[in-house]
Amino acid sequence: MSNLFSGINARFRGAGKHGGGKSPVSPAADDNHLTPPNKELGQRSKSSSNLQQLAKLPPLPASPALPKTIPTGEEVLNSYRLPQPLPLWLNPAYAKHIVKGNFMTLSSKPKTVELGEWIAHQAVEHYRNLWNFVNVVSAKEADGKSICNSTTCPRMSAGPNHSYTWLNKKDDRYERIELPAYEYMSLMRRWISGKLDDTNIFPTDPSTVSFAPSPHVSGAALTSSADDWIGKRSGFPKEFASICRTIFLQMFRVYAHLYWAHFVEPFYHLNLEKQLNSCFSHFVLTATALDMLKPQELEPMQALIDLWAANGTFPPESTAYSYANLQVGARLLQMAGMA
Amino acid sequence: MDNQGNRLYLNFGNNNDRLAATDRTYPTTPSTFPQPVYQGQPGAAQPSSQQGYQQGQGYASAGYFQQPAGQYAGTQYADYSSAGQGYGQPPSTAAGANNDPNTGLARQFSNQNLGGGGPAAAARASPYAGGWGQAQGQRPRTAGGQGQQPGYGAGYVNTPPLPNQGAEPGYFAAAPERNPDKYGPTANNNQKKCSQLASDFFKDSVKRARERNQRQSEMEQKLAETTDPRRRESIWSTGGRREGSYLRFLRTKDKPENYTTIKIIGKGAFGEVKLVQKKTDGKVYAMKSLIKTEMFKKDQLAHVRAERDILAESDSPWVVKLYTTFQDANFLYMLMEFLPGGDLMTMLIKYEIFSEDITRFYIAEIVLAIEAVHKLGFIHRDIKPDNILLDRGGHVKLTDFGLSTGFHKLHDNNYYQQLLQGKSNKPRDNRNSIAIDQINLTVSNRSQINDWRRSRRLMAYSTVGTPDYIAPEIFTGHGYSFDCDWWSLGTIMFECLVGWPPFCAEDSHDTYRKIVNWRQSLYFPDDIQLGAEAEDLIRSLICNSENRLGRGGAHELKAHPFFRGVEFESLRRIRAPFEPRLTSNIDTTYFPIDEIDQTDNATLLKAAQARNGQQQQQEESPEMSLPFIGYTFKRFDNNFR
Repeated sequence: MSNLFSGINARFRGAGKHGGGKSPVSPAADDNHLTPPNKELGQRSKSSSNLQQLAKLPPLPASPALPKTIPTGEEVLNSYRLPQPLPLWLNPAYAKHIVKGNFMTLSSKPKTVELGEWIAHQAVEHYRNLWNFVNVVSAKEADGKSICNSTTCPRMSAGPNHSYTWLNKKDDRYERIELPAYEYMSLMRRWISGKLDDTNIFPTDPSTVSFAPSPHVSGAALTSSADDWIGKRSGFPKEFASICRTIFLQMFRVYAHLYWAHFVEPFYHLNLEKQLNSCFSHFVLTATALDMLKPQELEPMQALIDLWAANGTFPPESTAYSYANLQVGARLLQMAGMA
Repeated sequence: MDNQGNRLYLNFGNNNDRLAATDRTYPTTPSTFPQPVYQGQPGAAQPSSQQGYQQGQGYASAGYFQQPAGQYAGTQYADYSSAGQGYGQPPSTAAGANNDPNTGLARQFSNQNLGGGGPAAAARASPYAGGWGQAQGQRPRTAGGQGQQPGYGAGYVNTPPLPNQGAEPGYFAAAPERNPDKYGPTANNNQKKCSQLASDFFKDSVKRARERNQRQSEMEQKLAETTDPRRRESIWSTGGRREGSYLRFLRTKDKPENYTTIKIIGKGAFGEVKLVQKKTDGKVYAMKSLIKTEMFKKDQLAHVRAERDILAESDSPWVVKLYTTFQDANFLYMLMEFLPGGDLMTMLIKYEIFSEDITRFYIAEIVLAIEAVHKLGFIHRDIKPDNILLDRGGHVKLTDFGLSTGFHKLHDNNYYQQLLQGKSNKPRDNRNSIAIDQINLTVSNRSQINDWRRSRRLMAYSTVGTPDYIAPEIFTGHGYSFDCDWWSLGTIMFECLVGWPPFCAEDSHDTYRKIVNWRQSLYFPDDIQLGAEAEDLIRSLICNSENRLGRGGAHELKAHPFFRGVEFESLRRIRAPFEPRLTSNIDTTYFPIDEIDQTDNATLLKAAQARNGQQQQQEESPEMSLPFIGYTFKRFDNNFR
């Protein structure tokens, strides 16, 4: 029961924040330090989603004893307004992995390691992973065509309900422009690698490495002042966390596009769907555990997250699990005859 | 976070008495490290394969987690390699590979000398072979195979497993028949990279997490041993800094420009070995750089990969330590510990022969070193004086340092087959050529021996190398096993006591013939007195594989009377007969650098490219070029020597 509630609550929380109908603007867009000279990374999700519908239901958490108003897995799934039949990647038979066991063992921060250091490490690792897959769709064949091109993907879309626009800085204001997915991804890649390679943001000098405050020591070391930030101890800049949030959000959008537009063409055909699933589920676990992705940002991939919570990919103590709706996941398993 | 950290530790299985608690946290299993999924037939991933799912429901008890937590460390790699095979290949092939007498568990230094070809040979070639083949194997055209689906849900989902009710049709988009051929060669090439990189990523991550947890539990043990708050704080912060530095190191791309070349200490057809100093911290390393195109042309990739793997995996005092590997467009780099004592070949050139006591010391140490390599599951196959290095204290470490040595055609069975058919690699009408193999070498042939000795180093640096120490069964292609390294040991021991290797001849062809006909050609010179026990040991190593000492394990050698009184356990702690006398940590006294051309080819090549404007910014980073994927390696303790 409690799992169910946490899942639903998460959805409501998401819906609440989502209420204005606007996706959060990329933190980068607000931060002058980060503004690349020309095109600014940024995007708004044109979301015409489901969540508003759910939000119309009576507020739930106050009173757990309202069984009638708890939507069934099927109802919630329907509220996602996914295309019918459901995309192949929601079929549990194709939501499998090349690894088994608990992914959390790979993403939990070691106790002694300073949080900023760990976030930086994860950002780099996941970036490397993700771009292995982007390479497959964006590499050009001899005829000059890539799998993801302006004909197949004229927009950076993640299903029928989402597409992302690039925030272009023109003079003093930003304008949203719609780009073909491959162009969007290549701009984003350049932007992210520009950040990861900038040693002012991601320091590599071994002499500034610090450690997590020791739990054995009380007092001054532990008090976090207003002038403290993630990674400060290890020489990461003040804007480090917000840059990383943007990086993770952008990477999530790329994954979302890969699933919605390219899961079958080409990943399924190339027998790479298990690899994609493994990297993406590991990504979601890590990003949510480190608070680099908010629940409402997961929206285009929510049903897969629900499924992975229900089928055990996400362990119950993980943040990703608490963002999932187990009923939906169970319903998907049932639909596949696997419940 | 703390909780998670703690849980991680609990899960880890290095503290078995706490596993029960873990079980409660995890309804599924005690051991939770991600592992590769075994898959008989990926094609079974069709909605119609319901039986597969049903079978899968029992996975928790049916070995879904293959290993008891406590045994994790030992078996992890085996899992990965077998997963590689299991992946794409039909079970029959995998079984064939396992039955092959030549492999067993052995992963070999080199993978080329696998005569015969055919599917078994391919499967045996390397743990990675499975991975490479995977792409093809993973594309079954037939639908509905009966695979063993791992069966999600059974142990995991909160709802209890129900009998299979069958899929409700039409909910999900239909899965088309897989057709990789609809994409071009670029995509299919990228497919291989992507698949390889993804599995490497998880393999490396699991290994790192495992080691990290090991370190953490060691740290917690230390914390528990003291109540002094300052001491505890210092343990904690040191631990955190070390982990943090390692993470930074992982993020940082290493490049040759980060090192200053001090001297070139070895050179060969495939690259060179330099003594270098890291610019940032002044630490000294030996850096081996290998020319990618040469490696590619000469088909040495599997070997390089195997070497990287054993060095990366081993943490033995008997094996030279590899700190990191990296690459650029032209070279592969291996950053290794610098062993200032030089190698046994240089020692033998200098002293010609050793006394029996000194021989006993080196041979005993080499026994332990070979044993260590065998315990890692590798057959060295190329044990020779050039590959036996001496550390600061004069103790032995094995390597494949002598560049050419490990990397030549020696491992190509065809090469020997050609030789067998009489095609010598040297013109035989050399006027000065005395058919050395027709007269047994004695001291009276010293001048010839000296010729041999002079050409020895040249030989070591050549592509062809010397077959002097190689066991006959490796040439003949009828299969070999761990004991081939003991043959090599016998020939080295012979050389230490006699002054030349037993089958030494003017060209490789003759050496080869002598080795194959060892019964006739093994000859102990009359004018050199060997102890009876020494000769007996040599003869029980240089003999056919069936009777060879060491076939049942290194303990057989250790028990030989020649080693009477040797305390193997403490051998590495006693003082070595020759301790290098060094003036600094970059002293190369024990390397024949006068004989080595000090031209830095890597730098020249780079400069030439820069002049030709070839230094174009590559769209693709060098790590991503398919043959060299997974080569990059970073050892934890690199930062903390």
